[in-house]
Amino acid sequence: MKGIGVGKKGRIILSFFVFGIILISSCTKTNEFTIGKDFVESQTRLQVIDTFSVDLSTVLLDSVVTSSQNIAYVGQYEDNIFGSINCNSYFDLAYESFSELDVKAVYDSSAFILYYTDYNYGDTTAMMSISIHRLTEKIVPYDKTYLFNTSSFHYESQVTGTVSFYPVPHSSDTAVSIPVNSLGEELFNLIRDKDEKVSTQEWFTDYLKGFVLTSGTTNNKALLGFKASSERLVMKIYYHLDKEEPEKKEITIKMGEATHQFNNVKYDFTNTPLYNIKMEKNEVPSTETGNKVFMQGLIGLIPKLRFSSLQDILAADRWEILKAELIIEPVQFSYDLFSLPDSLYIYKTDKENRRTILNDDDSKPMIASFEFDKYLPENNRYTFNITSYINQELYDAYVDSQNGLMIGLNENKLESSFERLLVEGKHPPVKLRIYYLSY
Amino acid sequence: MRKLTKTYILILLILILRPGHVSSQITTSPYSIFGLGYLESNSIGPSKAMGGTSLAFLSGRSINSMNPASYRGIDSLLSIFEIGVFGKYTIYSTKQENQSLLNANLKYMVMGFRIAPWLATSFGFSPYSSVGYTINTTSPVEGTNLEYPKTFSGEGGVNQVYVGGSVNLIKNLSVGFNAAYLFGNITHRESSTVFNYTLEDATYISNFNFDYGLNYQLDIKKWKYNIGLTYGSSKKLKTKNVTTIETDYVTEVLKSRKYKYSLPQNIGAGFAVSKGFFRAGADYEWSNWEVAEFTNSYLRTRNSSRYSFGVEFPSLGLNKGTSKMVLYRFGAEYRESYMIIDNMPINYGAVTFGAGIPLGGFLSVINVSLELGQNGTTRKDLFRERFVTLNLDLALKDVWFKKRRYN
Repeated sequence: MKGIGVGKKGRIILSFFVFGIILISSCTKTNEFTIGKDFVESQTRLQVIDTFSVDLSTVLLDSVVTSSQNIAYVGQYEDNIFGSINCNSYFDLAYESFSELDVKAVYDSSAFILYYTDYNYGDTTAMMSISIHRLTEKIVPYDKTYLFNTSSFHYESQVTGTVSFYPVPHSSDTAVSIPVNSLGEELFNLIRDKDEKVSTQEWFTDYLKGFVLTSGTTNNKALLGFKASSERLVMKIYYHLDKEEPEKKEITIKMGEATHQFNNVKYDFTNTPLYNIKMEKNEVPSTETGNKVFMQGLIGLIPKLRFSSLQDILAADRWEILKAELIIEPVQFSYDLFSLPDSLYIYKTDKENRRTILNDDDSKPMIASFEFDKYLPENNRYTFNITSYINQELYDAYVDSQNGLMIGLNENKLESSFERLLVEGKHPPVKLRIYYLSY
Repeated sequence: MRKLTKTYILILLILILRPGHVSSQITTSPYSIFGLGYLESNSIGPSKAMGGTSLAFLSGRSINSMNPASYRGIDSLLSIFEIGVFGKYTIYSTKQENQSLLNANLKYMVMGFRIAPWLATSFGFSPYSSVGYTINTTSPVEGTNLEYPKTFSGEGGVNQVYVGGSVNLIKNLSVGFNAAYLFGNITHRESSTVFNYTLEDATYISNFNFDYGLNYQLDIKKWKYNIGLTYGSSKKLKTKNVTTIETDYVTEVLKSRKYKYSLPQNIGAGFAVSKGFFRAGADYEWSNWEVAEFTNSYLRTRNSSRYSFGVEFPSLGLNKGTSKMVLYRFGAEYRESYMIIDNMPINYGAVTFGAGIPLGGFLSVINVSLELGQNGTTRKDLFRERFVTLNLDLALKDVWFKKRRYN
């Protein structure tokens, strides 16, 4: 039943046509074509507004969790911007069943050994002085887990040990030892005599409730961060076996539970722009603090931003926000001594200053990295893309001016560092830059 | 009905049901941003090689849907199925620069056959107008001294599906009509990949349209003289517009805009002479576009005219009249389009060459034509298009009543 004139050949050509269409129709390259641009009539306008007023304030958090951070800060530092900070670090010792001492064991000395970290704050070239005191009460964490920068426990006013030294920060092999010879001897004797005080965990913590590292007698000019882990924060008792050839020996008592180790941070804002901020009045507007806002980790200072004129954009008729950027500039020259945080995080907040971390479109915390311009320091800035947030705020055509954003470190850095930032609030102001499309 | 014929009809239906896929990218001309877009010629197959001349030609070797009265010429024993594709290379020039684009697509599918000795019919699918452009430009970011890249693009157009018939009134005089359903959508977009937004303006267009035709033939000795007349009344098109804004964060349908689209009144006249395998003809068409209104402020309309002529002659020598005979064709076309942009009329001119090459048996033919032309001008801030179009038309003929005859 072959049709006249349409044989195999015809069908082949027909298929060729069909394939040809499919292949060729995809080869129009148009992404660089520009001719005709004089005839297009734009129905959209992209506009930028960066004159929204951003109300700034500094918030002092009630407390910052400082336990389980693996870092023990001790020392003090003072300047006329962030005030003075004095940090004590608490910890206790882990009990272990001490092995029987040789009858020839003779006590030599004892010390707490501290290892440096990379975290310091202040002038680490100056001489430091650290003391250690015994606690007169046990360290009891809140909810069995948390201790805060505001937590403290009673300790003996009498110094158990003290040391003065020139710090070698960032050094992993140098350690600071605080001699505690009399405490060491006492412990050595108890162990040797198999005293009940060192026989069980319970007896042991009743006897040695814990310790606090404090600034010593001289006026410190820095806060030093030491490693705080069971391996790296230890008390050592040195003794020898009284033989013809004396054999040196030591007992190592490790740091106790991480949840019992925390940093107590005292601050004093007298003679600083922040003098007005108190626990009871924990938020001050930038207008009262020299048009600057303050951020510092372990103190719990966090800049808060509110966009009181954001609803003005709602007055425009047809628009969509395509991009919203928050641009924050550090006060010039405020970071000569203290390097700026590499990255800042952003939190949603409300009237009660509760914080929720703001995520990007991939559900990862949104981060603004510091952009450093070697030649134009006025271009140094942090930029956040907060388009989602702004669109959400405007979604129901009502902007709650009590809500806002907080700029800070991530929780980990907040709880374990003194990183600080002084934000310029007027020259130039913090900018909310909105790119919006009207049509 | 023959198996193969059924297959063609199936392909035709599939393509008609997916019109967007058929008509998109028919054109790449930035001029198609205006109005209904680039108006497509309805000429088919051999006519394409003859400057589009067809008003006085009868259908026969090929279907001539430009004048529905021409269906009279369809052989009583054969059904014709034609499919046309094209590839077009265009150089766009402004005073300053040249850019070029290549595009290709299916153009039309038509079928025709005779129902009764006095009645012949044709139906098919072809574009009426097409929109297809991409223009990359920059726009200011207001409030800064920056610019951002922005792309204007458009696609779609108006397609037509028609059914037509021609009736022999008296010997040598036939009248015919095409009843077409016009439908399609024209989409204009404005978008930016930097700021990720698209404003899309889609207008759905539909309506019925009727064209009428007449063909009279005068036989003097061995010469045949044909006159063809066509008429189409003006018609408003029904439109439904949807404007959508889409960003990373929202997709919102906006209040519809009002667009007016209409088809003009159209009059055409053609004259043809033929003898044996030789034929020649000339066309004139006039459309009353002046009354049409479009929304682009650069565009003004005028009445459009089309002039064309074409000649077809057979290969000489041994092959003449045999199944290996090749038909050669040439012609030219000049159109004063309805567009006056920025006070500059947009005119179109082309010369065409082509051949009808028999395929296997002597009934089916592949018609090849080459069109060299230009459209527009580089004066003012306009641009000129110079193009080469390769048209391929496959005219498949099938014996319609074969089964019955041999059963």
